[in-house]
Amino acid sequence: MVLLSSGGEQRLRNVLYGAGFCSALFFLLAPVIFMLLTALSRRPDFLGNGYSITLIHFREILTTPSLHFVRYCINSLAVSLASAGITTGIASCGAYAVTRFPFKGRTAVLLTILSLSMFPQICIAGYLFRIIAAAGMINTWAGLILPYVAWIMPLAFWILISYFAQIPRELDLAAFVDGCSPLHTLVTIIFPLAAPGLFSTLLLTFIFAFNEFMFALMLTNDHAARTVPVGIALFQGLHGEIPWGVIMAASVITTLPVICMTLLFQRRIIHGLTRGAIKG
Amino acid sequence: MPKRVSRASSDTAWLAVLLAPALLLPAALILMPALGAFVNGCMQDVTFLPRRWAGLANYARLAHDPAFHQSLRFTVLFIAVSVPLELGCGLLLALLMQAPSPLRGMLRALVLVPWAIPSAIAGRVWELVYNYTWGPANYVIKLTGATAVNWLGSAEGAFLALVIADLWKTAPFVAIILLAGLSAIPERLYRQAEVDGASFIRRFYAITLPLLRPVLVVAVLFRAIDALRIFDLIYILTAGGPGGATASLSLLGYLYFVGGDFGYGSAISTFIFLIALLTALTVVRLGRFGKSLQ
Repeated sequence: MVLLSSGGEQRLRNVLYGAGFCSALFFLLAPVIFMLLTALSRRPDFLGNGYSITLIHFREILTTPSLHFVRYCINSLAVSLASAGITTGIASCGAYAVTRFPFKGRTAVLLTILSLSMFPQICIAGYLFRIIAAAGMINTWAGLILPYVAWIMPLAFWILISYFAQIPRELDLAAFVDGCSPLHTLVTIIFPLAAPGLFSTLLLTFIFAFNEFMFALMLTNDHAARTVPVGIALFQGLHGEIPWGVIMAASVITTLPVICMTLLFQRRIIHGLTRGAIKG
Repeated sequence: MPKRVSRASSDTAWLAVLLAPALLLPAALILMPALGAFVNGCMQDVTFLPRRWAGLANYARLAHDPAFHQSLRFTVLFIAVSVPLELGCGLLLALLMQAPSPLRGMLRALVLVPWAIPSAIAGRVWELVYNYTWGPANYVIKLTGATAVNWLGSAEGAFLALVIADLWKTAPFVAIILLAGLSAIPERLYRQAEVDGASFIRRFYAITLPLLRPVLVVAVLFRAIDALRIFDLIYILTAGGPGGATASLSLLGYLYFVGGDFGYGSAISTFIFLIALLTALTVVRLGRFGKSLQ
């Protein structure tokens, strides 16, 4: 390496970067492209057999009532939107309290919350099932929303604290002098200033709720509340053979909006993720 | 003076009102079930049988259960193989995302795609990729003249299949965290090193790696905990097969819960919890989270 002239090193670097970019893009996107190709293909074994394009799988998944796919989508959207909204609302109150009112044991509280986000889901799932069953909420939206809010809360809390801590406290004091209550201050002063942070938190909590699998698998038992990931995981063919075209059409319908949302708001998501992951 | 007092007490009241919901919900639905599982691990708690105290019988059973040993071996091996691989690929991705190149923006956007796709759906897509007869993985292998790999039907194939699918799903997250760490390294260090004639590789070892260390430590432990609790991909891709070769601890616990042996399932999940707790404590110690909060 040391023997290479700086021009040679530059060229080697460009070649390495080029190769890196190509293989990275291929690895990241190939499975997604294959999903799309299978959804649009008349048969799943098109490699080497010739491709014939069709929309029949999309029509089947959207119009066959016994597949319940539309219902899964409604369940997923309702549960994820409610979870994201409630979590962000509650977490922003908590984050505001923690950043504005210093109290003894603050660090301990924050560390406890952080450690909650690292609990393995399986440690909770078994007993959670009993709690939700005792409350008569198995296979209902509420029976998913409640655990999701609790489960995603630490993440939302953590991200929001880092945003709220940056807002100067003089603004609060000014509002306090004007006679505003803390809740009023939070809504009228902090929320507008922390809007990007709130939006990141909403996005991330929505994605986490939308993608969750284990709780949804255990706490639902049919299309009344089953979410899309579980629905797609449990899809079985009516005639024994796995209907790959239909499953991939369902996957495309589900992931396309998520991917578009991610690409559109990538900066906000990356910002939120890095805040949640590395503090300080 | 009275005004000060009332201010302080109203502050406490507001603190309690604003903070309580954010703490109570996780306490009720995360902490309590975890503690419940802890107690239940000491119970004989099987569907249709009377529930009674069993002391450490479930844990004694763990010590002699070949299925548990197999699951533990698989989980440890999975962590040992997948975490370094994800770190390495994540670091490469992060370096590419930082490189001065017109493709950088595109990569930064697209790297989130695997991360954003629900793991259940990712599992089904990879199931297709690994299909023995017409999946693209074997199609490419056969094009090169090699014999097809029995991805999901053989123990080694299934292990490799899970590692690759998990790598695809999680390397982007590692890359994003590491990119944040990379961006925090002052540009002038690299310029000085360049002036001093340090090569590309030398600069990486002398500047990038040491300064990235704290972030790398955090990423390692985050990933280790995630790998420890892996469930979704395995449930869909292999369901623990063939013959229990890829049954992670989480999957094993789940199977006992669904099978009705609640006590034993709880003992397994408590075991997982203890390992995760140890790892989390290490995160807090090494990552110095406490300090950054002061």
